[in-house]
Amino acid sequence: MTTQKEFIQDISTALGRPTPVSVDVFTVAPTTAEQDILKAVRQRSSGERQPFIKTLQEVSVPLHLDFHPERSLEDIRQAIITLILEKDPEWGTKKSVVRWDHPLLNSLNLEAAAELKDIPLYITNHVAATSSADDLQAQRQQTRKEVEASFIGITSADYCIAATATLAMKTRPGQARSVSLVPSIHVAVVEESRLLATLKELYTLLKWDEAEQAEGLTNNLSLISGPSKTGDIELVMVHGAHGPRELHLFVVSDHR
Amino acid sequence: MSTIAPEKYKENASKNIADPVLQKALSGLQERLGPATENLYNSLPEGHKMRTEAHQFRRKAIDNLDVLLSTLVDKVRGHGGIVHFAKTAEEAVEICKKIALDNDVKTVVKGKSMVTEEVGLNLALEKEGIEVYETDLGEYILQLSGEAPTHIVAPAIHKTRREVAELFTEKLGTPYTEDPPILTRYARKALREKFLKADMGISGCNLACAETGHIVTVSNEGNIRMSTTLPKIHVAFMGMERIVANLEEQQSILRLMSMGAAAQEIGGYVSYVGGPAEVDHGDGPQEFHLIIIDNGRSKILADPEFREMLCCIRCGACLNVCPVYGKIGGQAYGSPYCGPVGAVVTPLLFGINNSADLCAGETLCGACKQACPLEINLPRMLLALRSKLSEGDPDWDVQPKSKGENLIFASWQRFNSNRKVYDLLLGLMRVLQHLLPAKQGMISRLPWPLSGWTANRNMKKLAPKTFMQQWREKKEKKGS
Ligand code: SF4
Repeated sequence: MTTQKEFIQDISTALGRPTPVSVDVFTVAPTTAEQDILKAVRQRSSGERQPFIKTLQEVSVPLHLDFHPERSLEDIRQAIITLILEKDPEWGTKKSVVRWDHPLLNSLNLEAAAELKDIPLYITNHVAATSSADDLQAQRQQTRKEVEASFIGITSADYCIAATATLAMKTRPGQARSVSLVPSIHVAVVEESRLLATLKELYTLLKWDEAEQAEGLTNNLSLISGPSKTGDIELVMVHGAHGPRELHLFVVSDHR
Repeated sequence: MSTIAPEKYKENASKNIADPVLQKALSGLQERLGPATENLYNSLPEGHKMRTEAHQFRRKAIDNLDVLLSTLVDKVRGHGGIVHFAKTAEEAVEICKKIALDNDVKTVVKGKSMVTEEVGLNLALEKEGIEVYETDLGEYILQLSGEAPTHIVAPAIHKTRREVAELFTEKLGTPYTEDPPILTRYARKALREKFLKADMGISGCNLACAETGHIVTVSNEGNIRMSTTLPKIHVAFMGMERIVANLEEQQSILRLMSMGAAAQEIGGYVSYVGGPAEVDHGDGPQEFHLIIIDNGRSKILADPEFREMLCCIRCGACLNVCPVYGKIGGQAYGSPYCGPVGAVVTPLLFGINNSADLCAGETLCGACKQACPLEINLPRMLLALRSKLSEGDPDWDVQPKSKGENLIFASWQRFNSNRKVYDLLLGLMRVLQHLLPAKQGMISRLPWPLSGWTANRNMKKLAPKTFMQQWREKKEKKGS
């Protein structure tokens, strides 16, 4: 078995240096350009974010992403209820929906919708770290079952990048990553203040913003741009290879 | 599945050139992807320098690989992951096999990973009675048909919809249809069952980020996310060079890679995996293993002539513009690494001698370097390989070419540098060439020992007058 020491030693030797030398390859302070990006993002007004909506509308088309025009919480709630009622499940005939435990999604209050009273609405609950191993296991199995059964998964996102319609999602308690993956339809609801212009802005925040630094990327950060797709048969673009076939995006207006 | 047999290059290439279906698929692919990628490069907001910079980022990472890997390993361990080191292909396979057996794994789902092909993982696991499923649609098709990939990114591009239809009907028992969306749905359904029951997911690593301690996977289908989210164990295979120092550098390389691979601004799913699921999280694997693989890479690292090759991110952009690849297809290269990148990497990883035809086959036209998102100088390295093949190199176990051949070239050089002898021979050839068999004004067969040259092509006849003669006459005419 090769040990880390041997393995790294071989590399150092190949590099022509006897031991790993300390080199400055990791940046420790933002460049002026990065500072400017940080400042621009932080000081951006709601008005300055409006063009992002138009960009999102435009890039959604080639990505096959359903960008919805509803902006108020009430309208979005209605639109999601309509989606749940009108869309058909892909596997089997029974409908159920799963969503994150997330303040924005809680405020949609879908659970109270009379139209949905016959459709189970699961929430991927927090798992208490203090539970016994068996309890943890049981809770995870429950979540897994509910996610597998659901034809729609509803999440929010940490950021949404206008230029590429990319959703950035870290993993957290209550925010199971399979909700954006296993159900046939993924619905994402994002606050307007979470919109960014470019991937470069996203990476600058992830790298230099104090709150982001403190949390880290977490053990799973996903960047999602559009529904699942493949061109593997004669380069014909087909949506819904293994992940969601549809991705619906709603942006909640700042002025509610 | 790909076996490593670069010595069959000529044979396979001739076969592929005669295959009209493959020819159509290859030209269709190149016509679509080549120009689309170039358009994206031309509209980069950062301008052309972004690619030059990205090359430097990669080069810096390779030049400090020991430091970067140590950092990555510490961080991944800090996140709760388990890191293994494999010097050889066999060791990598053994490590993975042990994890599988220790955990009583029955079913494995795999995201597309070239390095697992390189080490021959599937076969080893299957020998243990473990079911292994490739989940990238193209790879899945090839697994069902038992064929080798034609392209790094679009492996099954040589299969027509009719062939896929027949294959699925035979192997999956699905109703016959030639409709790609319906065929895709059949595969989606078949593989969903596997994803849900699998107890181990295997992925590659497109590019790790040292400072944060994450591997990154990119896919459009979502199969890699499925493979690394649902099963209780995630094993990631990483070629030791697939790393970059920090997030800002990774941002630019990932974007360029997406442009090169599929003419996209960014891949559909980009996932950062730092470790297993945390205790209080509702899903994700309970164990995360990272296997870092050398398998000949430190030898490439030690050779200043070839170190640049470790900057490659296997995006496949060079395939989409290569005139040779565009005719002979990926299977001819007899390696998981095909096209211009394969013509350099395959000899370096699996032996220069038995891959001699691969580096001789490329034309040195330079299209690959222009198309490479990182501007890797493949033509330079192809030339370096050819020079090793002719002059020999004990470090790489290359024997020099035969004495006879060297003698021919030495005398050729002598004739060429003596004007009088050269002119004399030229005059002689001009007369003699009329004795050779010809077709449409071209020489169709040269006598031995030059017959190899005309085996696959005709040769232009020598012009009645040399350029110098024409030039002189033209000048005299003007003067008079
Ligand atoms: S050589 Fe360049 S273009 Fe070819 S696969 Fe490697 S990175 Fe991509």
